Amino acid sequence: MSQPAAIYLSGVSKRYGDTLAVDDVSLSVAHGEVFGFLGPNGAGKSTLVKMILGLTHPTAGEIEVLGQPVGSLAARAEVGYLPETFRFHDWLTASELLHFHARLARVSADVRSQRARELLELVGLKDRANDRISTFSKGMMQRVGLAQALVGEPRLVILDEPTSALDPIGRRDVRDRIRELGEHGVTVFLNSHLLSEVEQVCDRVAIIDHGSIVAEGKLDELLNAQEIELRAGQGAEAAAREILGEGGVRQVNGRLRVRVANDDEIAGLIRRMVETGVPVYDVRQIGDSLEDLFVRVAERGDV
Amino acid sequence: MSAHLIAFFTLREALRRRVVLAAALLTLGYLVLYGVGVWFGYRDLQETQGGPPGLTEGVVSLMLVGGLWSLNFIASVLAVFLSVGALSGEVDQGTLHAIAARPVRRSEIVLGKFVGFTLMLAVFIGVSASLMILIVAVITGEIVGGSWAGPFLMLLAAMLLIGLALAGSSRLSALPNGVIVFTLYATALIGGVIEQIGDVLESAVMFNIGVFSSVLVPTRAMWDMASAQLATGGFAGELSAGPFGASNPPSGWMLLIAFLHLALTLGFALRAFERRDF
Repeated sequence: MSQPAAIYLSGVSKRYGDTLAVDDVSLSVAHGEVFGFLGPNGAGKSTLVKMILGLTHPTAGEIEVLGQPVGSLAARAEVGYLPETFRFHDWLTASELLHFHARLARVSADVRSQRARELLELVGLKDRANDRISTFSKGMMQRVGLAQALVGEPRLVILDEPTSALDPIGRRDVRDRIRELGEHGVTVFLNSHLLSEVEQVCDRVAIIDHGSIVAEGKLDELLNAQEIELRAGQGAEAAAREILGEGGVRQVNGRLRVRVANDDEIAGLIRRMVETGVPVYDVRQIGDSLEDLFVRVAERGDV
Repeated sequence: MSAHLIAFFTLREALRRRVVLAAALLTLGYLVLYGVGVWFGYRDLQETQGGPPGLTEGVVSLMLVGGLWSLNFIASVLAVFLSVGALSGEVDQGTLHAIAARPVRRSEIVLGKFVGFTLMLAVFIGVSASLMILIVAVITGEIVGGSWAGPFLMLLAAMLLIGLALAGSSRLSALPNGVIVFTLYATALIGGVIEQIGDVLESAVMFNIGVFSSVLVPTRAMWDMASAQLATGGFAGELSAGPFGASNPPSGWMLLIAFLHLALTLGFALRAFERRDF
């Protein structure tokens, strides 16, 4: 890739006293990618996000954002950020907040008003443009926060738990916005513990636990390592062990479960079993959703 | 540069949150009370027969200096309250996160807030001191108040407190910072009194304690210099000594120390806030 990564982290650590919040994280997010960053609460997600934004200083390691050293004004001019807390100066109106951030983001004066109007419409707050944020519900604050993140037409958008205060419809709207951003070539770094959200919009994910990245890759690759449940005749278990090795074969509630890497392995397994005279009556995929992956990672510390 | 945006934002916040309105209303009430006091005081003074020449002018001057002393106190409290949670408080609340992630230097945030608070205090001191001088002039027919250096020194005292509070706020949350800043402010006040007593008793130790407190926090010294500028007339010097001013106003060196103090506290605030983790 000739173009430098949108986000590049190399050996990044953050220590608070005796606690290692982020431990030697290396990560690269390509331009235009919608990247999901997952992890249980307290895993170090927000600390890492704040380091990417230059809000928190790493103890060790190197960070580049849009090809610039982290924290440089040039890089920050092209980044939009929705903080996890989505707390804004609530004495401002929604429109004033967007104008202020547009000025900070160096949006030229002649387009600020139009931009603010469009974004408020986009997040469904057109009718509340001139109301103070102090009168907003949490969900509305989060939505105006999303508009704020987009006001500078950023090339990189960092969203820290962007739907935590939204109802299901609001969540779907935000997912749609994220997809649109991705379609327009904007890089999105989505920090979330909502697996379905990440599953639905992200090209690639990383899972962080106890400050370290424990899994990273394209979603379908990570999810393809799956289990199938077989109902088969005598000798099935022995045949499966012979074909796939000892590791991925086990009995659950009297049924045979086999871990396979991909669909080709499933087909191969069934063919070989039939060839060796073991009848196969039923094959069921144990849906390895991201949630299963996540739980497995969080429980065992590996995939 | 975005420091002016932050300064403007700080001013707007004070206006919108009705900080300015509250301060204006209270000051107006105080000025009315003060005017009534001056009116009665001046009437009694005119009924006093005899007395040394220049007594009237001296007492009027003292009344003004006393009034400005309380304005100076209000300005100091306002300066501390406005700025004591300006950095840490906003980081803790999370309201500064989205702003600090913008192409804005941390130093611009600190300086913008400093300028915003300073402008607020400048307007407060300028307007309220002018009104007070006007009240005294209308009631007594005497135009006292001396030079503009007086109100400027009052503003400088407020700026010292803003600098100190911002330096603390770069690291500490509002409550411990407020306790520390007010304690230092009180130390300077009490140090001034000790210095005066030491002067009268010719106690070098007490005098030096006072001077030391003024170097530590030169707010009281700024007021002493201001009151020397504000007091006019033959008796003013002697009459102003006591609660409202020093019998020996600080030398010009104190001004240099004050500016150094401001540079140090602001420098610390800039440096510490630059390194601060959100």
